[in-house]
Amino acid sequence: MTRHWAAVLVFVAAAGACASAQRQEVLVSAAASLADVMTQVARAYESRSGVRVTVNTGASNTLARQIIAGASVDVFISADETQMDSVRGEIVPGTRVDLLSNQLAIAVAADRPRTMRTARDLTDPAIKRIAMGDPAAVPAGVYAKAYLEKLGIWSQISARVVPSASVRVALAAVENGAADVAIVYKTDLASARRATLALAIPVSEGPRIVYPAAILRGGRHRDAAMRFLSWLRDAEASALFQAAGFIPLGRK
Amino acid sequence: MEREILDIAIFTTIAALAATIVMLPPGIALAWVLARHRFRGKAVVETLASLPLVMPPVATGLLLLWLVGRRGPVGRMLEPFGLEIVFTPVAVVLAMAIMGLPLLVRTARAGFEQVTRRYEQMAETLGARPWRVFTTITLPLASRNILAGALLGFTRALGEFGATIVVAGSIPGRTRTLAVGIYTYTETGQDARAAVLLVISVALAFGAALVANRLAHVD
Amino acid sequence: MREPVRDTRESPRFELRFSLTQGTFTVAPDLDISARAVALFGPSGSGKTSILEAVAGLRTPQEGRIAVRERVLFDSETHTNVAVRERHLGYVPQDLLLFPHLDVRQNITYAPPRRSDLDVPNLTHLLGLTPLMDRKVSGLSGGERQRVALARALHSGPDVLLLDEPLAAVDLARRRLILETLVTIRDDLGVPLIYVTHSPDEARAVADYAIVLEEGRVVAAGPPVDVLP
Repeated sequence: MTRHWAAVLVFVAAAGACASAQRQEVLVSAAASLADVMTQVARAYESRSGVRVTVNTGASNTLARQIIAGASVDVFISADETQMDSVRGEIVPGTRVDLLSNQLAIAVAADRPRTMRTARDLTDPAIKRIAMGDPAAVPAGVYAKAYLEKLGIWSQISARVVPSASVRVALAAVENGAADVAIVYKTDLASARRATLALAIPVSEGPRIVYPAAILRGGRHRDAAMRFLSWLRDAEASALFQAAGFIPLGRK
Repeated sequence: MEREILDIAIFTTIAALAATIVMLPPGIALAWVLARHRFRGKAVVETLASLPLVMPPVATGLLLLWLVGRRGPVGRMLEPFGLEIVFTPVAVVLAMAIMGLPLLVRTARAGFEQVTRRYEQMAETLGARPWRVFTTITLPLASRNILAGALLGFTRALGEFGATIVVAGSIPGRTRTLAVGIYTYTETGQDARAAVLLVISVALAFGAALVANRLAHVD
Repeated sequence: MREPVRDTRESPRFELRFSLTQGTFTVAPDLDISARAVALFGPSGSGKTSILEAVAGLRTPQEGRIAVRERVLFDSETHTNVAVRERHLGYVPQDLLLFPHLDVRQNITYAPPRRSDLDVPNLTHLLGLTPLMDRKVSGLSGGERQRVALARALHSGPDVLLLDEPLAAVDLARRRLILETLVTIRDDLGVPLIYVTHSPDEARAVADYAIVLEEGRVVAAGPPVDVLP
């Protein structure tokens, strides 16, 4: 039985490996929140350079695990610095850059819109439930909690916080009425139809949100990956990121 | 958009079918051994066989990732041949097969236990060797349960998410399955696409589970 | 119906000397006999079926010796224990155990024929099974099932036919027919029988040797007319 099993495995693995080894291809692991924009960016780069860009998406910590286990990823774009730090040993030295930034935002249901002047309005007793990414695990939750602590209102509202598995779940909670407000990224609201912006927390005031990118040692196409990462910081890619609501950090 | 979603549905179905085929030989063997034999460490084998059912799928995925990753024991063996499993359709099939296996083993085992030993003894008195007894008596008499188990395994494979995303990732056109697609589209606010995938998975799972339950309950 | 055979000069020899203990129950026959048809007679729980199963190899005695027609099947002294599939015995258990997923033909021909002089069309004709060959076994009557089980056991050309209460599930009208069939098997096909029953009439009808059992012990053995009630 084990021989069958192994034979099937080897056969299919060979088929898969052959298919991927033939053409020049850059494999990018990108945070789930970047899935849509990365697809556009990859297509733009492909038509421009002829190099194929394959995008694998997932939660940043899952992507980091895959990289540590030895998956041959060329470029990693993490949603936060912690996960990029966790693959420190896998990074080609000198290639880590801060690629994008984002902005925290407070979302409310589109059919019950309101605007807030400041995040301090969250202490309004009419707001019964505040959805946000789990501050213990989800980067957006970590950022949100840090910011609310900085404002000094965390202890007042923490009892009303509903921690969610991801920002998207928090947003969905507002959309279907399970929560009154959600603290999300501004980019999440770009495609939302049943939720609307109550307040965008100014970049100057909010936490520093960074999507770092780096070239990995385990990748198979390092030179192509270098060129791709460099292009990601140029005007064409920046325009695409900006259109999706991200803040390109460009070259300093 | 239509094309991409159709591709995901077709890929998921094919991968789940492949996973079912892959899990059948070890699943049937394991079910038979557990149903018919007593040996030292049986409880351990039994527990191991049902582990993917009770473990968080992501944990199973992490374990698989460790095994087949380039630094893991299996990955290291394959690397000299230029073979890599992580992020390939093979990883999808592997994750699905592992997650579906316990359901197949449980159902098939119940089937083997229902087959009266005396039918097998009868065949022996008629001169049949063990392999012939197994293929002509035991297997056909347990076939309904095996089929039901395979269908349950297939259903499980169709919906597999946690292990798949860890070990195969979410690469459109290569490893993105229905469940992983729903997650990825939801995470990027593409709710319409996610909804279409959701409807497709519900329909597929409903159909397969319906048939599996009918097979398991009719005697 | 033919008279039971009395002449035992050319009759096959059966050696049944063993002791088989299961829990608190022990059956320990000590017999070396020559007969064309042996009846194992006794009430339920007297050990008849255990003896039959020991001969078939489905139960292993703790010690002793079993030989059928000079062929040793079990001998604790020489550590002989012939595998069930190599004993060449036709076993018909009380519940028949027809394979439910196979049709009549597939049941009958399950064992590959071993004896070249055995002719399948003749066997099925003899047992009146020819019109039933393509039927599913689930739709058969008790008597039909009984005959299918007999044909299946005979198909390989066994050295002996082991029958466990073959008339238990058959209605009265059919009993006579089956008894006649058994005599045909014994005489025309030349296959000796070991026949478990609790009916003295049946034992008398087919056997030329009877063993009377009570709680595992042989309390009488000899020609049916002498030992049966």
